[in-house]
Amino acid sequence: MKTHILAFTLSITVCFGARAELKFDKTELELHPTPADKQAVGHFTYLNTGKQPIHFKSVKASCGCTAAQSQKDEVKPGEKGEVTATFNIGDRTGTQVKTVTVETDDAANPKTVLTLRTIIPQQLEITPTFVFWKQGEKPDPKAITVKVGKEFTVNHIKVTSSSPDFQTKVEETGKGEFKIDIQPKETNSLLASTLTIQPEDSPKVFYATARITGAPTAPVAPAAPPAPVAPKAPTVPSSPAGQTH
Amino acid sequence: MKFLPARQALILAAFALLPGVGQAIYFHDKISWQSPIPRSELVSVDQARAWGENVTWVDARPDQDFARDHVRGALSLNEDRWNELLPQFLAGWSPGKKVVVYCSAESCDLAREVAERLRKEAQIPDVFVLEGGWEAWVKKNR
Repeated sequence: MKTHILAFTLSITVCFGARAELKFDKTELELHPTPADKQAVGHFTYLNTGKQPIHFKSVKASCGCTAAQSQKDEVKPGEKGEVTATFNIGDRTGTQVKTVTVETDDAANPKTVLTLRTIIPQQLEITPTFVFWKQGEKPDPKAITVKVGKEFTVNHIKVTSSSPDFQTKVEETGKGEFKIDIQPKETNSLLASTLTIQPEDSPKVFYATARITGAPTAPVAPAAPPAPVAPKAPTVPSSPAGQTH
Repeated sequence: MKFLPARQALILAAFALLPGVGQAIYFHDKISWQSPIPRSELVSVDQARAWGENVTWVDARPDQDFARDHVRGALSLNEDRWNELLPQFLAGWSPGKKVVVYCSAESCDLAREVAERLRKEAQIPDVFVLEGGWEAWVKKNR
């Protein structure tokens, strides 16, 4: 009995002893880009602790939004290097987890999964980003809540409607929250408006949409789709026709 | 002596169980056999096609994939250009219409993420993720 347990324990020890020769310092990284950043870059450093050179077979990211590459194809014994993962933030929000799968000819550990966790700071959380009235419905105001992110301070927000057919009113409700009341002048026509919401003293612009909806088969033209956000040159309609607060 | 093999088997099974338990604790939030999308939020290709005109198709893949090919009538809505594309989607959406979001395959996350933002941020109801994604659609439409 004792012999069997000893043999089993030995086999486990041998298994753990046959570690990967390509050793990554960290297989998981957490990145905290600033609101102005367009990309977040993770550097996964490694060392070849073995006695044989290791060759990369492939370095693949889990998503088209992430580009991953190794600096070299071959890693000599004792050599250091890094796999770089570049995550394009785009219009993403919140916590984004992407993986990079690295395949090598290292027999002990041919596949390593690297995890890139990116925490995208959210200056304003807008809920909902879309309000609508059915055609003919009573044109009562609808509320949009704007919540300021924990790590930010916003005392005022500016709201601009792309259409004069919708009126907006901003109210500060305290605790870093604002309430936007939006109301159409009438609901008989198929109207739409893009609300541009901008924190005071910030180039970052946020959007919400208001629409009068018709029958399921009667779409209307998009309501002045906003241009991509440029942090240093905010895109605000040049001559806002609606309400500004 | 009679029970020795059984005891050995039990001890070995207990040893084998240890890494499994460890993994289940450490990776409790991403257990591989659990789909991150609840069954009720998934729709098969056949079921979505049966909805006919009452569906807005949303392609969550990157722009270049959408440009290459997409479900006829689908709108592109991805998180790379969310602020720019969302108003175009909302312009075509109507109350009562179902929304089916797809990305390239079963394993991709893009459709789930886009569907979640449509539900939570825009508060659009009846948003589903296409089971098997674009690959499943192509298979069924060969």
